[in-house]
Amino acid sequence: MILSIEELSIAGRERTIVDNVSLAVREGEFMALVGQSGSGKSLLSQSIGQLLPPNLHASGRIVFEGSNLLERTSKEMRALRGSRISYIFQDYQGAFTPFRSIGGHFDEYQKVHGEKSASVRKTKAAAALESVGLDAALLRRYPFQLSGGQLQRAAIATSLLLSPRLLIADEATTALDSVSGHRVLELLVAKQKETGCAILFITHDWRHVRRYANRLSVMKEGRIVESGGKHRILDHPQHEYTRKLIDAAPVLSRSLKSGLEEETP
Amino acid sequence: MFRILLRKFSEVFIFLLFIMFVSFLFIRLAPGDPVLTILNVDELSVSQEQVEAMREEMGFNDPLPVQFGSWLLDFVRLDFGTSYSTGQPVMQTLMSALPATAELTLGALLVMLLIAVPLGSLSAVYRGSWIDTLSRMLSIVGAAVPSFWLGLILIDLFGVRFGNLPTMGRDGFASLILPCVTLGLAISSVYVRLLRSSLLDSLSQEFVRSARARGLSEGRIFWLHALRHSLPPVITVFGVSLGSLIGGVVVIEVLFAYPGIGKLVVDAIRQRDYPLIQGYILIMAIVVFIVNTAVDLSYRYLNPEMKLKEKEAHR
Amino acid sequence: MKSMPARVRTRPSKSKKHSVQAIVAALFALLVIAASVYTFLYLKHDPTLTDLRGRLLGASTLHPLGTDHLGRDVLTRLLLGGGQTLGYSLLALGAALVIGIPFGLIAGYKRGWVDKVFMRIADGFLAFPDTIVAIVLSGLLGAGISNLVLAIVIVKWVSYARLVRSTVLSESQKDYIRIARTNGLSDARIMTKHLLPHIAGHVLVLASLDLGKIILLISSLSYIGLGAQPPTPEWGAMLNDSRPYFQSRPELMVYPGLAIVSVVLLANMLGDYLRDRFDVKKEVQP
Repeated sequence: MILSIEELSIAGRERTIVDNVSLAVREGEFMALVGQSGSGKSLLSQSIGQLLPPNLHASGRIVFEGSNLLERTSKEMRALRGSRISYIFQDYQGAFTPFRSIGGHFDEYQKVHGEKSASVRKTKAAAALESVGLDAALLRRYPFQLSGGQLQRAAIATSLLLSPRLLIADEATTALDSVSGHRVLELLVAKQKETGCAILFITHDWRHVRRYANRLSVMKEGRIVESGGKHRILDHPQHEYTRKLIDAAPVLSRSLKSGLEEETP
Repeated sequence: MFRILLRKFSEVFIFLLFIMFVSFLFIRLAPGDPVLTILNVDELSVSQEQVEAMREEMGFNDPLPVQFGSWLLDFVRLDFGTSYSTGQPVMQTLMSALPATAELTLGALLVMLLIAVPLGSLSAVYRGSWIDTLSRMLSIVGAAVPSFWLGLILIDLFGVRFGNLPTMGRDGFASLILPCVTLGLAISSVYVRLLRSSLLDSLSQEFVRSARARGLSEGRIFWLHALRHSLPPVITVFGVSLGSLIGGVVVIEVLFAYPGIGKLVVDAIRQRDYPLIQGYILIMAIVVFIVNTAVDLSYRYLNPEMKLKEKEAHR
Repeated sequence: MKSMPARVRTRPSKSKKHSVQAIVAALFALLVIAASVYTFLYLKHDPTLTDLRGRLLGASTLHPLGTDHLGRDVLTRLLLGGGQTLGYSLLALGAALVIGIPFGLIAGYKRGWVDKVFMRIADGFLAFPDTIVAIVLSGLLGAGISNLVLAIVIVKWVSYARLVRSTVLSESQKDYIRIARTNGLSDARIMTKHLLPHIAGHVLVLASLDLGKIILLISSLSYIGLGAQPPTPEWGAMLNDSRPYFQSRPELMVYPGLAIVSVVLLANMLGDYLRDRFDVKKEVQP
């Protein structure tokens, strides 16, 4: 168990947005967190890295690699963020500061996490870009010169650079066209096999869930309504809400919803 | 880039020529007789013959086209005439006063930064707190306070009652304090609010969150990412408010009797010292041109998008 | 350093702020009007009559705010000076509007060569900051309040014309203008009856924000002697007069200054209120 969220609640002054949520992510697994907009899934993911806006407060426990993150100092969290826990967000344009080159981001990021040698930083940056299928020449470019798919892949490259144990992808493909999105997902899964990191994948697209997830959790209005293995939930949803969501999702083929049939060797 | 500079320069040059021509016309046609000023009619008694002789000598009796021709010649030769009041060449007089104005302006800008950056930043980061409210009140009131009144009060407080900072003239570093603080305070109110709103906008951008998610420290994010991103609107306003800055410098120089070109030109106006006034106009036009160009160049530097798009357009 | 907001909080309700501002602005406006009316109806002291025996007196029933260095009643001069400053500022503003609005309307609506010429002229004018033009004009024509007003008008009309032009440009795309055109309404009619009401809001906001600046400009330049000439009462000039006496009579310095601050503050608040009300977001200067 690499990440264990225990009875987490996130509340603002007027209302509770996430209510007593418990969730676990195992080492190396692809965990999908599904729910509609406003269900609180993004906030949940942000609370893991202590990225919540200051008017919201989290209570409960978030246990990562044995210690409760909610009790860590900001300095400790900063060391964790980007190196052991990484994020990829939906807005790829927002992944990079507009007036800095892509290479500049890689460089700064590595410097902050302790890599002192400039040449090492440069080599690693180039290698990272190539590993996501991008040309190392892009390091000199600025964010506005890259396409959406390229930006998102570059963002993945930065997130995986320091080999995190947990990668949190918050609707990482939602804003991309289906081809780019597919590429990104394939990339994520390949990286996962390579590095053995766990992925917490937040989405509302059941096709992704069907194709890539190992386990999933369904969230509604701040609560987890159902949790478990992919096949089990997709084929035999227990909760009413889960059933509704699955029924509402567009399905492209006629086979069993979880694709179990295709997967049997 | 050179092309742009050239274009701008030619625009200003044409406008300059136009202004100089208009001022030339006015001088010849305006009320008041410069000859009387030169001869210091107030203090010395001058005979009518002397006045006539002077007038002949200065060419005021020549037909207008001739006068204009000689003026043009002088202009091309960069001879801007002799000041009626000081008797020195205009450019020399102005140039010797320029360092004082430069000190005053730079000092005031420094004071402004020292006020606006902390206040603006704190108001943005701690939005809604007492600092934010305080800075808002100060800005609103500050925008309504005339700089010369502020100067008078500061003179009264720190020059007379509670201290003895120099309040007149230019005499070492101490005499810069009151004028720079006055002017700096006066111009800062706009920038405090501007910086605040620009920062608020930058801080709410996604890239700030992404930087945070990568483990960058808040300080680094603020200074190197958010603040820098907030600069363009501030620079724009600076370029646009150049006029009031110049005006402010003039007023402050007069108030504190600081011997810069502002004070010089005000005295010149009182004495109808036209060559000096013309020289001042010329210098100011150049200053405005330089500042506007610097503003434009800074955009290119701050925003690589513009720089690169231009390169592409020229390929 | 405390963690900065990752998401901006929603703004507190604006309507409360509006009503407070509106009330304060209205109150002040009433005060100003009342003061002006009072002076006109009940002018006891001649503001320019010097009385050297009665100079620099403190507050008394005859002279509620004392007398200045030439024995003139301060309160009267203050009130009249306000009328002067305000009057000239409004005059400058009005003239700039009267020139700028038609230019902007025609340039924005007719387009074509009129527009091009206008933009060229505008760019030319814009190159020079208002203070310098004011100084220049004072220098050429002689110091005086009317030259100052002229200088302000010369510089300001451009910004109004440009504002009107850009608003007209965007409004022209809208259907109601197109319909008016196809219905055969004359250009003049469209411009006055249809476009004008729409631009009025934006122009009003810019004008009220400028009012404060103009008042400050007039008083600043009067202070250094380039604006209102003695013995005209004007706040900036009064401040200049008070300077030699501020050891013995510091209040001579305080009253005109406070007056300027109050009026400019009022004007700015009015401008803010109008801006919030009309919800003009973009280039209207802060």
